[in-house]
Amino acid sequence: MLTYLARRLLGTLIVLAVMSFVIFSLIGLMPGDPIDIMIASNPDLTPADGVRLKKLYGLDLPIGERYWNWLTAALGGDLGYSRTFNRPVLEILLPRLGNTITLLGIASLIAIAVALPLGFAAAVRPHSKTDNSINMFCFAGISVPPFFLAILLIILFAVTLGVLPAGGMGPVGGEGGVFARLEFLVLPVLTLTIASLAAYTRFARASMMEAMRQDYVRTAYAKGLAVRRVVVGHAMRNALLPLVTIVALDFGALVSGALITETMFGYLGMGKLLFDSILANDFNLALVGLLFATLLVLVGNFLADIAYAAIDPRISFKSLANK
Amino acid sequence: MTVLAEHPTDLAARQLFWRRFRQHRLAVFSAALLAFIAAMALLAPVIESAMGLDATRVDLFNQYALPDATHWLGTDEAGRDVFLRLLYGGRISLLVGLVAAIAAAVMGTTIGLFAGYFGGRLDAFLMRTTDGVIALPVLPLLIVLAAVDLEKVGVPATVAESEVVSLYRIMFIIAIVGWTTVARLVRSATLSVRTREFVRAAEAMGARPWRIMARHILPNVVSPIIVATTLSVGGIILLESVLSFLGLGIQPPTPSWGNMLSNAQELITRAPQLAIYPGLMIFVTVIAFNFLGDGLQDALDPRASRR
Amino acid sequence: MLRWARRVAVVAMVAMLIPAAAKAAKDELVIGISQFPTGFHPNLSSHVALSLIHGMTRRPLTVFDADWKLICLLCAKLPSRQDGTIRDWQTDEGKPGLEVDYAIRGDAVWGDGTPVTTKDVLFTWKIGRIPEAGINNQELYRRMEKVIALDDKRFTIQWNKRTCDAEAINGFEIVPSHLEAAAAADPAQYRSRNAYDTDPTNPGLYHGPYRITRVEPGASVTLEPNPTWWGQQPHFKRIVVRTIENTAALEANLLSGEVDYIAGEDGISLDQALTFERRHGDDYNVVFKPGLFYEHIDLMLDNPVLTDLRVRRALLHAIDREAISARLFEGKQPVADTFVHPLDSVHIDEVRKYPFDTALAKQLLDEAGWTDIRGGIRHNAAGEPLRLEIMTTSGNRVRELVEQVIQSNLRDAGVDLRIRNEPARVFFGRTVQRRQFDAMAMFAWFSSPNNIPRSNLHSMEIPTEKNGWSGQNYTGYASPTMDEAIDKVEVECGAAEQAKWWRTIQTEYAENLPVLPLYFRANAFIMPKWLSGVTPTGHQYPSTLWIENWTAQ
Repeated sequence: MLTYLARRLLGTLIVLAVMSFVIFSLIGLMPGDPIDIMIASNPDLTPADGVRLKKLYGLDLPIGERYWNWLTAALGGDLGYSRTFNRPVLEILLPRLGNTITLLGIASLIAIAVALPLGFAAAVRPHSKTDNSINMFCFAGISVPPFFLAILLIILFAVTLGVLPAGGMGPVGGEGGVFARLEFLVLPVLTLTIASLAAYTRFARASMMEAMRQDYVRTAYAKGLAVRRVVVGHAMRNALLPLVTIVALDFGALVSGALITETMFGYLGMGKLLFDSILANDFNLALVGLLFATLLVLVGNFLADIAYAAIDPRISFKSLANK
Repeated sequence: MTVLAEHPTDLAARQLFWRRFRQHRLAVFSAALLAFIAAMALLAPVIESAMGLDATRVDLFNQYALPDATHWLGTDEAGRDVFLRLLYGGRISLLVGLVAAIAAAVMGTTIGLFAGYFGGRLDAFLMRTTDGVIALPVLPLLIVLAAVDLEKVGVPATVAESEVVSLYRIMFIIAIVGWTTVARLVRSATLSVRTREFVRAAEAMGARPWRIMARHILPNVVSPIIVATTLSVGGIILLESVLSFLGLGIQPPTPSWGNMLSNAQELITRAPQLAIYPGLMIFVTVIAFNFLGDGLQDALDPRASRR
Repeated sequence: MLRWARRVAVVAMVAMLIPAAAKAAKDELVIGISQFPTGFHPNLSSHVALSLIHGMTRRPLTVFDADWKLICLLCAKLPSRQDGTIRDWQTDEGKPGLEVDYAIRGDAVWGDGTPVTTKDVLFTWKIGRIPEAGINNQELYRRMEKVIALDDKRFTIQWNKRTCDAEAINGFEIVPSHLEAAAAADPAQYRSRNAYDTDPTNPGLYHGPYRITRVEPGASVTLEPNPTWWGQQPHFKRIVVRTIENTAALEANLLSGEVDYIAGEDGISLDQALTFERRHGDDYNVVFKPGLFYEHIDLMLDNPVLTDLRVRRALLHAIDREAISARLFEGKQPVADTFVHPLDSVHIDEVRKYPFDTALAKQLLDEAGWTDIRGGIRHNAAGEPLRLEIMTTSGNRVRELVEQVIQSNLRDAGVDLRIRNEPARVFFGRTVQRRQFDAMAMFAWFSSPNNIPRSNLHSMEIPTEKNGWSGQNYTGYASPTMDEAIDKVEVECGAAEQAKWWRTIQTEYAENLPVLPLYFRANAFIMPKWLSGVTPTGHQYPSTLWIENWTAQ
């Protein structure tokens, strides 16, 4: 098991290293650089100042050298400064990451908690009325543009009914406790939940149907066990397996969803920070933010593997390692 | 059996396909609806002149008009006809969806065929790359790609500065992150086909790998490709709308459903209908593609359950 | 399972119905803005959100007030030639310069009790002169040849250029040497080590009515009264400046009471505010203040089509600016005739005007040889179509809309206008600065009153590869008359000379149209009925500089 973990960890690190270079190069391909923007927004800066500042920030070096400088500094714990905030990158990023994890965590939990019963209910009686309506809901859920959903929710709850805030983060410094912030979380969480909920329900239904077709479930039926016991006791456990994989793999989609949701609702999370930093050419922040997002996905996959083994004792870590 | 597998376009198979497909009523309806939307979008200039209107015509004295006989869906913040703009936006959204999906399918098919047929290190390398791409947070990456300076990657200034460049760019960047599903499907299908007798026979007769892949393997993996590609069109239209919404996709004055919605967002309290129309169009089109893909799957691969 | 689902639904409904938080007490004010400052150092970061905050926490030496007159805030008295505090002086190279005596108010102290002295002035000047420190306003420091401390409060600046407005040193933001000297020991590190960014809640950094007591990056800045403030005590016990970037959300937060007031300096767009006024005008005071945001189109004068003055005039006649102003902005953004704002003291009205007149535009284009109309588009004798390209910052909805109106207008006159927009960082960072736009570039200038247009209209200020792309005369406008007027208006300070040269500048501009004037942008201030004392200025010095006059009733 330890060998397996070590191998997975190594693999993850390699992917991360490759990604860091790819992202570094891509960001280097973005037009202009922060100094150009500074010059453009400030009439008093001369191009001579620009050349001077570029040298000061090492922006005049070739890309390979710049990457190497960045990497050695990063491994030494120095991820650089955010240009838009003038603060160390991590100081800005970490609180935002916390906010995003709160948002994603609540949304995924709700999505899973609702998707499982929905999907299973649909699978137990395929092509029934229940199944068909759940199926329709799922198709609708995966087809609605997330930002459109957000707009609809804002129109309904914030503009027409006026019962929920259209965006923001709640009182300054978390005053008023959790409840004061809760109402600001409702719409973003709802937006984020619906898309994943639909996808998860479809997978839950599919894997449950697959499980119900297995011989031992049929045997259980034949033995005269109650439907509920068959479903809960046998099929469900087996249906959970593929679902875990899907949820973990879906982390990338969730991060993308968080970006849209956070932007729409002015929620101060990492997705919005990432978007803003890319638009503002905040080189360091965008780079580290993208790496964090990638890391988040990789960790999700990693956890899925472990959960996989934990749910199904038949799958050993050894066999996974050879996968 | 072998004959049938080699020629899936066989008459019997086709009839079987149609019979199964027709059973999926939603899919049939979706296909009809998509055909209708596509026809309307294609005919936009004709409809435009028939209505006696001009989609780019600004009329500041007729802003936010409600639907009437002239403007079927009213006018937008610049007094332009919303209905016509929706049609023109549909052209862009459908074009991006189809072209990017097909480009992704071609890439994915090639990669999957190579990985599955040649196996070994090439397979390992290609599949690790695929895993890597799947693990990427797609949207942030697309945002970076959309921001890349074309002149810095060597695209001539004349091309980089043309009006339609945002269109090509968005098709390209969506295709290069979208090929993974097809690649995986094709690889596993190829793996199962390449051990079959007719492939073995062709190899024994000295056919070159290209020919085997093209003549013997490809026709047998076509069904999953079609299903996956159809399903991906919806996803791509969604992605295009998200990028345009974030201001990184199709640029005005070219209307796309995404940028129309983006424009409408700030006007939401004043004219919510301007957000509703393009949003609904995206929704309807995407859901239709999903139903269609679902129906194709049922018809082409009856063993797989409806998912 | 169903019962369980129902329970979830009930919980969700309850969560949705929790009423919005109680309205803020009236000794607290929450100001909503749409951006967050990029750092807190007044000389390292120039950002409208920061100037709004520092309006409450700091006092510049001199500033323009709401009547666009120069006044003293941190200084004791404006220098003048009459009392001998402005004197002619010559640099070592013999260039004409000025020697000016300034004085800091006697009672000015930093928030930690340390007096504001000439030590701080010298420190600010020295760090400003070191290129590595990365101070923004380099031109200002280049012009300050030397600063001499006369005593604790009085100092003399030797300017290496003779100008007519030496009494104003608006951009010279004094920072506390007792807190900043350590960080400045290594100038290259000053940017990341300065106390404003590392320790923004340190009271010693501020000398205004308020000081920053809490910063939540990206979200909010909390201010509380500064006990050492020397002026009138401000009314509010606490001011929170909240950033909500999505303007629709900002508006909704105002309605829900999370935000009391949306600052016009950095708030919601004008058409959004107009809609807001229509819906909620009874509950709020919506003030539209036209300001020194000059929206215009720079014309590329190297483009052979645009070198023809008749074409330039035809373009302006063909654009229905009155309709844009009236229909899109309900008249709140007046049409501009030149870059000089009507409220500016140097403004003259007698310049050539270009009312909307498509027939006249067509006639001018005919005269210019664009007579052959094919498919609605004019062609010249050589068969070239009259096709121009307009660019602006992508993602700016209002500009993109105006662009499309102009496109439609020009087509009526037979001009084929193509739109190609770029993100702000490319547009300003490269395309405009390097003069790479084909024909038209639409953007805005934000300035202070009586701003001399040297950098954008003098022929020496045309950016070229040779001069390292310096200057802002992006159109390439070169007129000896304009050059002379600009040179003279800077140094001939008599009232008659000033009036004469300002007149020349404006007439010349309107006659030759190197730039198509569009309109002056207005800012919308959305205030609750109970808030009084807010006086929008319309220029780059924010209304918060007079925060001590703000009260709740």
